[in-house]
Amino acid sequence: MLQKISYSIIFFNLFSFASAQKSSSDTSGKVLDEVVITGTRTENTISNLPLPIQVITSKTISLSGSEKLIDILQMQSSLVIANNPLGTALQGYPNPFGNGIQMQGLDPAYTLILIDGEPLTGRNAGIINLGRIALGNIKQIEILKGPATSLYGSDALAGVINIISKEPKKNSLDFQTHYASNNTLGLTGASSIKYNNTSFQLFANRYSGNGYDLDKNIYGKTVDPFIDYSFSAKMLYDINAKNKLMVSARYFSEKQINNYLIYPLSDPEVVKGNTIETDKSAYARLQHTVNNKLNYSTSVYATSYSNNAAVYLQKNDSLYETIMLTQFLFRPEIQVNAGKNPAALFVTGLGYNFETVNSSRYSSLKELNSWYAFVQKQIQWKEKINILAGARFDKNSLYAAQLSPKIAVGYKVSPNFIIKGSVGAGFKAPDFRQQFLNFSNTLIGYTLLGARELGDGLGKLKRNGEIDDAIDISPYANGVELSPEKSIGINVGFDYTLHNNSVLKINFFRNDISNLIETYNLPFKKINNQAIYSYENLNKVFTEGAEVNISHNISRNISVYGSYQYLLAKDKDVLHKIKNGEIYKRDPITNITSPVTKKEYKGLYNRSRNTANIRLQYDNVFYKATAFVTAKYRGRYGFDGLNNFEDGSGILDDDREFVKGFLLVNTTFSKRLGTSWEIQSGVENILNYTNRLQMPNIFGRTYFINVNFKLDNKDK
Amino acid sequence: MKSLTLHILAGVSLIAGLISCKKDTSNNTIPAVTKTDSIQVAFDPAAPNTFFSFKNDAVVANSDSATTNWDFGLRNVNFIINSHISGPGNAGVITQTGIYDSYTQAAQSGYAYDTTSTQLAIDAGFTTGWYIYNSTTHAFSPKAGQFFVIRTADNHYVKMEILSVNYVPFAGQVPVTLIYKFHFAYQADGSTTF
Repeated sequence: MLQKISYSIIFFNLFSFASAQKSSSDTSGKVLDEVVITGTRTENTISNLPLPIQVITSKTISLSGSEKLIDILQMQSSLVIANNPLGTALQGYPNPFGNGIQMQGLDPAYTLILIDGEPLTGRNAGIINLGRIALGNIKQIEILKGPATSLYGSDALAGVINIISKEPKKNSLDFQTHYASNNTLGLTGASSIKYNNTSFQLFANRYSGNGYDLDKNIYGKTVDPFIDYSFSAKMLYDINAKNKLMVSARYFSEKQINNYLIYPLSDPEVVKGNTIETDKSAYARLQHTVNNKLNYSTSVYATSYSNNAAVYLQKNDSLYETIMLTQFLFRPEIQVNAGKNPAALFVTGLGYNFETVNSSRYSSLKELNSWYAFVQKQIQWKEKINILAGARFDKNSLYAAQLSPKIAVGYKVSPNFIIKGSVGAGFKAPDFRQQFLNFSNTLIGYTLLGARELGDGLGKLKRNGEIDDAIDISPYANGVELSPEKSIGINVGFDYTLHNNSVLKINFFRNDISNLIETYNLPFKKINNQAIYSYENLNKVFTEGAEVNISHNISRNISVYGSYQYLLAKDKDVLHKIKNGEIYKRDPITNITSPVTKKEYKGLYNRSRNTANIRLQYDNVFYKATAFVTAKYRGRYGFDGLNNFEDGSGILDDDREFVKGFLLVNTTFSKRLGTSWEIQSGVENILNYTNRLQMPNIFGRTYFINVNFKLDNKDK
Repeated sequence: MKSLTLHILAGVSLIAGLISCKKDTSNNTIPAVTKTDSIQVAFDPAAPNTFFSFKNDAVVANSDSATTNWDFGLRNVNFIINSHISGPGNAGVITQTGIYDSYTQAAQSGYAYDTTSTQLAIDAGFTTGWYIYNSTTHAFSPKAGQFFVIRTADNHYVKMEILSVNYVPFAGQVPVTLIYKFHFAYQADGSTTF
């Protein structure tokens, strides 16, 4: 192992690299009022925004020594890694969806992920694989909670995670070598170059690992070997005092080995192959300042995503299955900012989305076009009251137009005590899968049809003689129109600052979601006696709870951050049925049936009522060293079918359905050597928590070592 | 001693009288036969049906498929009922919600039958059917608070509740057989009271 490390260090001396290490002079005892952009699409300090926003700084990221976005996000109390039960690596099957983030109790599909304000695409079963984002080039991560559809459109129901990449500010050269358990190797390089009016930021990351196996009794690894590459480039060009141009591009590609058993009706077979996921984007923005009260920007964003998997039968090398998904988005946009920021800022914008998607599970290439307009007004009154009011209008080619308003009010009781409240509407458009899927399982024989695909799909099944002639399919002839899933989100809380070095933030939230899209089976079957499934708007759920955050800088060198989230998430239709005595459970031992009471119903599966995290940082200026400890507790949560428990109720209503809570503890020690070098070493998951069935994404105790190099030219 | 015996006798007859009185107040029917049984069913949509007779509390040979000797047939998770397209009998079924134990009087009408081979009286759909399917564990768990009121092939009344469905332990990777455990009350005299 050591040999490998030294080898890579030598290798990467030749290259260039990034870590966001700042000098120790940044660590003052004062709690900073960070500047964010996500809340209003313009720069604002958090204290001026009546919205719950959390910032993860580059300093926190670099102190953790982590390589991927998912590693940082999963240590936040309010964010939980949500494994789609179908996406877990059960029985050696690969997890095809990656790991997503559950925010305010809502599934990953309901959080919008942005990079520099522009959306990532390529959701598999609603989940964007957060392993796609390398951390080395990030200035900060802004997490806005509560519906943000009024600014960002579809999918921003639970909130927005906006990853802000670094700006080229000075000439610099960074590199990092990361080596960890499971032969995980990360090599990162970044460089910033400033020349006259032009500056460049370049970033490259290579990341690979052998994966791991949590269950030796099952064929195949829990996580298979992988290798990925990320590149990004950004150019800023100050054309003149009034015009600025920004151009950026991003590339990510991952190759994941597949090696698992399939179960045809005869004997099991080994299949091998790989999945290649790529994500590319390009962005250009021209900013024009008319005067100090008016500026506007025009931008174009294009992104394409593809996921191609091919697996072959080991016994004769014949192709067993290919799965392909490609997605493309092109978005021109204009935004106008008028008035004084933040006292009286008016922001308005107009944009157009041209989107296509194709998949081996769709009948043909599908298109989706939409345009949108948004307005937002910010009012500051006597430096006491902050009002933020806005709305967005989305007109889509596939479903009814959506108007999403939002209002937020902040009141400064005193300079260190601010009360904040906001109400907003959000929506999530029916995704391509729910509209267009056209898939028949060859092994079992069932068929899944998107709502719009019903007419064509059923017609074809009937022509092929797969549906009984007597069955009337005419009600489905034109497909079924799905409505967007809708939400109303309320956030109320306060920020209280004490002695400049402690901040207490409390936020209460409630989200009411309706029109949730679910699968159902059609009332007739295929000739082979297998079902036909489609999607419809069905459920109503709510999530509510509270989040408490405390930051305390004990001294210039010691700081503590803690947070806690309490969460309730329930299905309103289930509550209604319980009230009417329509839901029963059967005791699996006595076989006695009884109605489920309201008290017995614990809510949605996979939600923890209690989560907490704590972060400790200690800087030793004399030794130029930093110790960093994070701990995350996830309380118990329901898991459908845990230990084969079934009581026939279909809901979470028994203690035997709960997975035990767990604690993850990570530590990192950083030691600076001279002005340019730093060595970091750490242990993740010190307590060696594993749960191969419910948490296959967590490997046991992991050791890592980083070697960081940074060269700045501060004169420029 | 003698008087004590007398007392006991009197007591016994009094109790006996009370019991018979209680019976008289309900119906002049004999009590339904209650049984708990398990049958094995092939986990294969192409396998032959497993036929069951409530009267005999027994699986009926497949060669009897064209007779009224059976009441329901079961394959995979799909039930057929012995009438119309599925058999020569007069069977019918009501999918009843509520608590099995407190259901004492079968309905006179409203019994469904199989109309086509893909539209069966008992709904076995993945989301709408009689069971809850867990896509993670692949378990079929009978929906609680739901049972079947069945008119048999020869016009007797039965209430039947499926208690569990389990895979028979299997050596390979694919399950071969399901075990259905259910209890039922069969009214031998042809009345509708359980």
